[in-house]
Order: sequence, then C-alpha cells, then structure tokens
Amino acid sequence: MNSNNRRELTAICILAAVMLGVMPALNAWIPEGQWLHVSNFTINVWGKYLAYGILAISVDLLWGFTGLLSLGQALFFSLGGYMLGMHLMLMIGKLGQYKSELPDFMVFLGHTFLPSFWQPFRSLAFAALMVVLVPAVIGKLFGYLAFRSRIKGVYFSILTQALTYGASLMFFRNDMLMGGNNGFTDFKTILGADIRSPGTQRALYIVTGLTLIAIYLGCRWLTRTKFGLIQRAIRDSETRVLFSGYAAANYKLFVFVVSAVIAAIGGALYVPQVGIINPSEMTPDKSLEAVVWVAVGGRGTLAGPVLGAVVVNALKSWATRAIPDLWLILLGGLFLLIVLFLPGGLVSLPNKLRELRSRLGKKSPDTTPTAVPNASAS
Amino acid sequence: MKQRPFLLSAEGVNKSFDGFKAIRDLNFHLEDGELRTVIGPNGAGKTTFLDLITGRTQPDSGRIEFEGLHNLGTLSEHAIYRLGIGRKFQTPTVYADHTVFENLVLSLSGSRGVFAALFFKLKSEQKDRIHEILETINLSTHAQRKAGTLAHGQKQWLEIGMLLAQEAKLLLIDEPAAGMTDEETARTGELLLSLAGKHTIMVIEHDMVFVRQISKGRKVSVLHQGSLLCEGPVDQVQSDERVIEVYLGRKHAR
Amino acid sequence: MRFLKTHRFLPLLTALSLFFSNAHAQAETPRQIIAKAVLLEDKSDDQVALLKTLDASTEVASLLTLWKEGGIFLFEKPDQSKVAIILESEKDAADKQKALLLETGLPILDGEGKPLHLLASDLTAAETDSTLRETMKAVLDLSGLSSPDRKARLQAVETLAMEQDFSRIPLLQKGLQKETDPSVQHAFREAIALAQLKEDSSETKISACRILGTMGSIRSRDILQSLSKDSDGPVQRAALEALQKIALHLQKVNTFGTLFRGLSLGSVLLVAALGLAVTFGLMGVINMAHGEMIAVGAYTTYVVQCVFGAGLQVSPFGIALNLPGIKATGWFYDCYFILAIPLSFLTAAFAGILLERTVIRFLYRRPLESLLATWGVSLVVQQLFRLTFGANNVQVSSPSWLSGSWTLSDVSFGWNRVFVITFAAAIVIGVFQLLGRTPLGLLIRAVMQNRSMAACMGVRTQRVNMFTFGLGSGLAGLAGAFLSQIGNVGPSLGQSYIVDAFMTVVVGGVGSLFGTILSAVGIGMTDQVLQQVLGNPVLGKILVLAAIILFLQWKPAGLFVTRSRSLES
Repeated sequence: MNSNNRRELTAICILAAVMLGVMPALNAWIPEGQWLHVSNFTINVWGKYLAYGILAISVDLLWGFTGLLSLGQALFFSLGGYMLGMHLMLMIGKLGQYKSELPDFMVFLGHTFLPSFWQPFRSLAFAALMVVLVPAVIGKLFGYLAFRSRIKGVYFSILTQALTYGASLMFFRNDMLMGGNNGFTDFKTILGADIRSPGTQRALYIVTGLTLIAIYLGCRWLTRTKFGLIQRAIRDSETRVLFSGYAAANYKLFVFVVSAVIAAIGGALYVPQVGIINPSEMTPDKSLEAVVWVAVGGRGTLAGPVLGAVVVNALKSWATRAIPDLWLILLGGLFLLIVLFLPGGLVSLPNKLRELRSRLGKKSPDTTPTAVPNASAS
Repeated sequence: MKQRPFLLSAEGVNKSFDGFKAIRDLNFHLEDGELRTVIGPNGAGKTTFLDLITGRTQPDSGRIEFEGLHNLGTLSEHAIYRLGIGRKFQTPTVYADHTVFENLVLSLSGSRGVFAALFFKLKSEQKDRIHEILETINLSTHAQRKAGTLAHGQKQWLEIGMLLAQEAKLLLIDEPAAGMTDEETARTGELLLSLAGKHTIMVIEHDMVFVRQISKGRKVSVLHQGSLLCEGPVDQVQSDERVIEVYLGRKHAR
Repeated sequence: MRFLKTHRFLPLLTALSLFFSNAHAQAETPRQIIAKAVLLEDKSDDQVALLKTLDASTEVASLLTLWKEGGIFLFEKPDQSKVAIILESEKDAADKQKALLLETGLPILDGEGKPLHLLASDLTAAETDSTLRETMKAVLDLSGLSSPDRKARLQAVETLAMEQDFSRIPLLQKGLQKETDPSVQHAFREAIALAQLKEDSSETKISACRILGTMGSIRSRDILQSLSKDSDGPVQRAALEALQKIALHLQKVNTFGTLFRGLSLGSVLLVAALGLAVTFGLMGVINMAHGEMIAVGAYTTYVVQCVFGAGLQVSPFGIALNLPGIKATGWFYDCYFILAIPLSFLTAAFAGILLERTVIRFLYRRPLESLLATWGVSLVVQQLFRLTFGANNVQVSSPSWLSGSWTLSDVSFGWNRVFVITFAAAIVIGVFQLLGRTPLGLLIRAVMQNRSMAACMGVRTQRVNMFTFGLGSGLAGLAGAFLSQIGNVGPSLGQSYIVDAFMTVVVGGVGSLFGTILSAVGIGMTDQVLQQVLGNPVLGKILVLAAIILFLQWKPAGLFVTRSRSLES
C-alpha cells in the first residue's frame, strides 16, 4: 500500500516536472525551428487538455466514486467559463469593434449602460469568487431538490440532462445579457497582460497544470477519508448506507457541489486559453463527451479521467483534421467498445493484459476477479 | 414483576400495498433486553413489519413507538438508525467493494455528519473495538478481504458485526439462518445468544431447529396474515392449535 | 379566378354559358353585353356604364379576366364590320388557333363552312384603360359573391367587408338571402354591419355595433376602436360595449386555440415518448439513440417521397446510390405518405432490433451503461445521416390533404395538427390492443415483469426482448414519419425531441403507458399555456423544465408508480 502510494506520488512529481517545468522552458528558451522547441500551439493545446482533465475529474468524482452519472457537468464548466468571461469582456474596454466601454454585443443590442449585475465583474477577484460561488449555489439548489426526493440512477442523469438543456436555452437568449448565441469572445487582456501573447498563454498553461495537480491531490485525499468510504458505499448500495445511519442525500449533495465547483474551475481556466465561451459548450452532449473521457481513461480512479481527457482530445485534434467526416463515428464507436469490452478503461489495461498473459502462460485458474466499480447497483 | 417500559411498541398498525393488506391491526410489544423470535408462514408480513420499523415504508395507520418517545412512522431511515435501531437484511447486504474492516468502520457509532466523515480519524479504542467484534463474529483473519468475496455465512456474520459496531439498542435480524450450513447456523445461534441481554434483539426466522435453539425459555411471537396470532414460550406456541394449523401444521403435513 | 390565366378552360366556359344563357333568355346575355362593350373601343365611359349593368357571375368573371389579360381580340369580318372574338387554346401546326365569336361562343366559319383558324399575333387585342380596369375589378369582386366555390365567396365577402361601402349593402343583403353556407352567411352579416357603420344614422351605427359585438367580430376591432375615438354619446358607448364583447370572444378563441395547440403538442410528445415508454418503461433500457430512431422514420418518409417524385441520389462514403423515382403527380404523389407510414415503422423497428442484438442485449440490468453505449450509437447514426443525406435539413412536403385547416368560430384547426392528434390516438389504441389483447403482448408483459420467471416457464425471453425493443423503435419511427409533416427533417432531428420524450416518460411514471399519455398531454398543455401567458416560447420551455423538477419533488416516481417489493429497484 505504502509503496504504491510513494510510486504514485513520484509519478505525479515527474509528470509535473516534465509538463510544467521542461515543456514551458523549451517553449520559452529554445528558439523556433530547433528540434527541441515546443511550439506555442502545443502549449495552448495542452493547456486545453489539462482544463478538460479537471472537468473529467469532476465527472468521475460523481460517476466513478459516487455512482451519480451527472449530465450537468458541462453546465458548471461553462458557468465557470462565463463568470471569468464576464471579467475578460469588461477588460476589453474600448478596444472592441464599437470602441465602447460596453461589451460589443451589448452595444449591438442597443444597450447604453452596463447592467448592474455586470458591474462588480471589473474585479478579477470578484469574478474568481463567482466562478466558485455561482455553480456551487446552483449545484446546491438543484442537488437539494434532486436528492431530497431520492432521484437516483438514470433518473438523475435524465434530470441533469434537462437542467443543462434548460440552461443552454436560457443562455442562447439575448435578453439574458450573456452574449446570446455568440457568447463571449475577442478577449484582449488578463491582469493587464495581452491574453494572446505566448508568455501569457504559457503562464495560463502552468496555472492550469498546477490547479489540476492541486485538485487531483485534493480528490485523492477526499476519496481516502471516511467520506470516500461512504461515497463508494453509496455507489454500491445506497439503501444499506441509509440503514447505517448516514443521510446519503447530504453526502451526495456535498459531492455534487464539490464537483460543480471543480468543473467550474476547469471552465474558468479553459476560457482564457481558447478565447471563447458560448452556449454550445453547455449542451448535454458536452457532458456526455466528458463522460466518454472518463470511461476511456478508467472510472473510479483519479488518473483515469485525466488520461482519458488527454487521449480522447488528442485523438479528436488529429481526427477532426485528418478524417473530419468520420470523427463522430470514431468517437461513438470507441465509446461503445469501451463500455462493452473494457469497463475499467485504459488504466485497467495493464492488469487485463497481465491477467491474459498469466492465463495463457500458466493456465492458472487463480485470477482474482478485478474489482470493476459497478455503478449499476443503484 | 416490575413494570418496565417497552422498548418497542406497535399499536393498531395497518399497511397495504395496492390493496393487499400486508399488515392488519398489528399490536406488538418488545421489552428492553429481550431476545424475541418472530415466526410465521410466508406472506405473514414479517419483513414488511421490519420495513415499517426501520422507515423503509410508512404505516397507513397506527403508531410504532421506540422507547415510548419516538414515533417511527414519521422518521427517515437514517434518523431511525441513529435512535439505535439496526437491521440485518434477509439477503446479506454488506458493502461488497469495501474490506471487512472498512465495513465495520462505516458502521461504528459516532457522528454521521458529512464534515465529521471528512476529518474522521480512527482512534485506537475504536480500532480495538473493531478487532473485538471481528473476534466475536469469527472474521479476524479476513479483516482486509473485500466483503464481496466472503462466503454467504460470513457475510451474515459481518452484517451482525456491523450492528454490533453501531452499538444498536435494538437489533432487527431477518432470517439469519437462511442459506447457511448447519454448522454455520449453530454458530450464528451461539452468536445471538451471547449478545442476548446486552442488546434487545428481534429475530425473524423460518428454521424451527434454529428457533428452538435461540428461544429456549424465551417468548416467541407468531404472525399470521399481518397480525399477531399468538405469543408465548416456544413449547407453548408449538402446541397451540391455531399455530399448528397455519404454520407448523403445514410443516408436519409435509 | 386566378386559374383562368390561359384559354384552356374555354370549352368548359362555352358549355357553362349555354347553361346560364337560359336563365337570361329575355335580356341580353352577359356575353352579348361584354361583346358590345368590347366593340365600343375608345368610349370608355360607355364601356363602364355597360359593364356596370352586368350581374356578377363566374362567366362574367372569366371573360373580364380574359379581357384584362388581352385574350379578347377584334376581328374584322370580310364585310368590314368588327366583331369580338376569342381563341381556343389548342394550336395547330402553324400556331393558329380556332376563333370563336365572343357573343355566342360558337366558332366562326370561313367561306367553306369550316371553322376559321387565326394567328394570335395577327390580331389586335381589345384594350383596357385604368377606369375600365377598376370597374372590371369591382365587377370581379362582386362576381366572387355568386361563385359556386364556398371559399371564393367567403373571400369576396371579406374583401367587400373591409371596403365598408354602404352603397353595397343592398347587394350584400341579396347575397345573404341566397346564401346557404352558415360561415359565409356569417361573413355576409359581418360585412353588412361593417358597411352600416359608415352610414350617417347613429341608430344604424348603434345596431351595427350591437351585431358586431354579438358576433364577436375580431375583424372589426380596429374599426370599432377608431369609431369609439371619433364618436361620442350612445354611438361611442355602443362601440365600446361591442369592443368589450369582442375582447371576451377573442379571449375564448385564444383559450381554445391554446388548448388545441397544447393537445397537438401533447400528441407529438406522446408519439415521441410512447416508443420510449416501451423500451425505457417496460424494458428499463435507456436508449439515448431513441431520437435517432425517430430520425430513421423521418428519413424513411423522405426517401419514399423521393421515390414517388424525382428519385434520390446519395453517396455515403463516396459510394453512389441511385434510387429511380416514379415521378408521380397529383393525388398519386400525395399517396406517398400512406406508404411511408408503415415503411417508417418497419425500418425503425429493424434498426432497433439490430441495435438490440448488437449492443443492448449485453447491457440489460446495467442502465447507466446502456445510456452511455446508446449515446455512442446515437453519435454514429447522426453522423451516418450527415454523410448520407447531407448536414442540411431535407425537404419533406406535406400531402395536400394535410395542408388545410378548418375554422370553427374563429378558432383555426390545422389539418396536420388534427391528423397528429388522431394519429396519436390511433397509435395509443394500437399499442394497448397489442399489449393487452395479443399473445405477443402477454409474453412481453410477462418478460418485463419477471424475466427469469418467464424464462423458467419456457418463454424465449431473448426473442421477446428483441421484439419489444423492435416495437419501441418502430413506434419511434412512426413518430418520425409524422414529425416530418410538422417540422424539419435533419440529422439532429432526434436530439430536439429526446429530452422532452424522457421527461414525458419520467413524469408519467416509468412503466406506466397510461401515465405517459397523461403526462404528454399535461406537459403539452402546460407548455402552450405558458407560451400564451408569457408570450415567449423559450421562457415557457425553461419554466416547463423547472416545473417538472418541482413536480418530481412532489411525486418522485412520476404520476403512476409501479410498485415493487424488491430492495434496489
């Protein structure tokens, strides 16, 4: 157990050193054209993947560890993005197309002054607070209603799907004053720095990576406390948990809110790196896409979701350029195969292979059943 | 004899499912420290009665009181549990993906709050208590095994162990002997007898050999069609005409 | 009258004219009058005077239209006298057409007694000037009043009503007396009352106001409003009273309209959700590809339509597929939909069975996994649609018998919506019959209640699962067939219904078909009422979703609970 622990932490340290130390260094100091140079594009793309990794962890915390398949994570991810986006929109200042203090879309809609709920977003600190607070409050409210009435299993999925769908309809509307269809884009500065300069992008990448590590370690701690035990107990047999005296609803609510916040933080880090946020990020389909990452990587683990997010998105980056017509078929097919044949995801692959080899080699029947978390108990 | 307050009392309880009367006008009283066996043929409403006590379902009418204070019909499962009522299910219900040790940790008495769980640290006396329980339920050597890999009988014991860890005042035990070998059954009986007196126990059982083992000199209640048919020492009950007709009679006829 | 643009109908007109000329045996026939007017050429005042004597009739209307469009010619006979003639539509080899005498409608004979053939370009057309055309239009408008076609009459009356010309009142009253159709009678009365508002007498005005008020004439609202502003005393009061009554009527109309739209939206939801109620409710399979099954049905309808029409060329993955069309027209073309209905059921059912055999049968009792796997399938299928039929919506045209409407007391009932409601009712009855009355239904219910028990009793549960899933998918296909009649057909068609469909089933209570029906109608109604009240469809939809979440607080298992005694159900 302890040696495993140490191995895991060492791996994290090495990965962190390479990803967050070496890669940015190569980007900054090795001139372009040289063999060791890491391009700005690579840094940007990896920054995006890592933000997705954060989202994936939030999905897994619910699905893999608690058995709650939430299709609302894309909503929280986008909400985080929108909250930070509001600040970035105000930071454009008079550099926008209409040369107005107001965000362009407001000028376009004929507004003459900034609505009061936009005012405080001039402060980055306030925006950061809202990144955490808004999803937490919405998550708490929705979770309270859902868990109180014991909505679980697929019903929970369907209901979160409806929540996301409803929210995206709302954000598509212009009179929501959140940019409507087009959302927020054309950001210029963050903390006074040019948001598109390689230096800023590199800094954002490092911040995202550090946040991911912090969240990873936080979740690692969480899932190893007694809370984590209860979490998994809820996943496996919620009724038994009730008869052990735990108000399962409170535990689920807590996890739901924590996941909402994690997803939102991911979204807030994602937006300045891709430079756009709009309601199409908020659809139930996007939530399901994040679920794919988790399934591919391996649910019920913490490394799995991050691995899945990176692998699937790298595959997506390649496929949408090389075989654009077939990408969705590839994604759907991949997902189908994983669900049917590799429920433990990629992280379970080494074990599976070892098992297979030992079965082929020794033909020993002594294979302990792999403990695949079984979310269907609910 | 000194009049002791009832630990559990049910009065005029009714419950029906889709028109089927599972429990009709049931009156039942359990004294503190008792080991009571409840028997009855299939469909007599035994499991439904446990569901009503533990809050899985609510009675249509009537009152179920615990310690003469709490009306169980209005409380939720976890609240009832916190009053000190523990239940062992008919089919063993343990956390299959957790180790035996972890199963017991989850059942230990103490705060059930979210934040308490976050900052929970196993104290040494709690650890001792768990090992003591493991000893009692004969699972000391299996502490680190996943509960899902235990044998059927071992799961039953683990579940009883979980009730012990909870320090429940009232243990509700649903068919502990079901699916066990004779040897396991006998050991389960011993286990329950060793607990009698320290806890109030209500056992629901079919197996008459087992019933005789655990209720020697104790009261047995017979449920039939959702209400109490008769109550008394096991020998008396077994010779009761009505009981023979509805329950034992069938057994003899076989 | 618009369809008389060419001369194609002239033989028919000739026959008609013979029929009508009997009625006017003594007086000059309209043909004679018009012929006379044509010959007056430049004297437009006299022409106008002549035309004004004409009684409106179909014949008059068609002839005047012909004149306006330059289809009446002046022909100089060998004796230098001029006659008005018209040409038959048929052309011979030399592009010549048979000439008919306008006055009689009979062919002009040449010296040898043969019908005379003339070239249109050699002839001078009878001209018209603006005053003449105005008069013609007035006559034409009036002629609509006596048209045998109910719709044309209605339109003519309505045009006259808006003119508010009180000199027309006698004419309108005459029309009203002859009229037999109640809705046209209604229009006549309305037109008369509207015209009376322009009369000087305040008593007439007041009584007209009363009539309009009692009628609940929505059309006259603006007119009455300006009247109430411009007048005072009793007239103003009468106008205001009438307005009040009309507002009440309008409210009633809106309410009924909303209810009707709610019912039809409910039916759409019901048909989309019914298949889901079978696969999700009875089988416990979360089929996220259910929406794509709907799309399969819709695309099947599209393909059938193309086969009836000009054919279809698609090239998925670069493989060119060419479906020849039979180029049907008219009513035969409209029949495509009748064939499309069963075909869309079968195609979707087949797709469903395929899905069940290849994916879902491995995932029974693992609902969350089936949700995920079928979502993967849904992505794949959507992309296949895109590759085959293109990313844009395809055109599915409604058969003509679905594109009209009935109007009953100002509430309009679109035929397609009425069809949707009837169709939904038929499907519901069909499904209930199938499940309740047939051996297959018995098997389905047995397997859904207790799979292992049914298996023990010798039921081939695998097969029953397959058929049940096929049935659910087939129902989705049917939904697609008729959604194609009221909305767009595109690759993501299914996506727009899947959330609603799931909501409907959940609210109704999973496992209860009856609950699904109630919840579909309930949600449809709520949606339409909220839309009406809020005046905003999106906000309405969001509120419906919120309402559903709150509803589930009250009844977490939906309207109808199928109770079970097992622990983890």
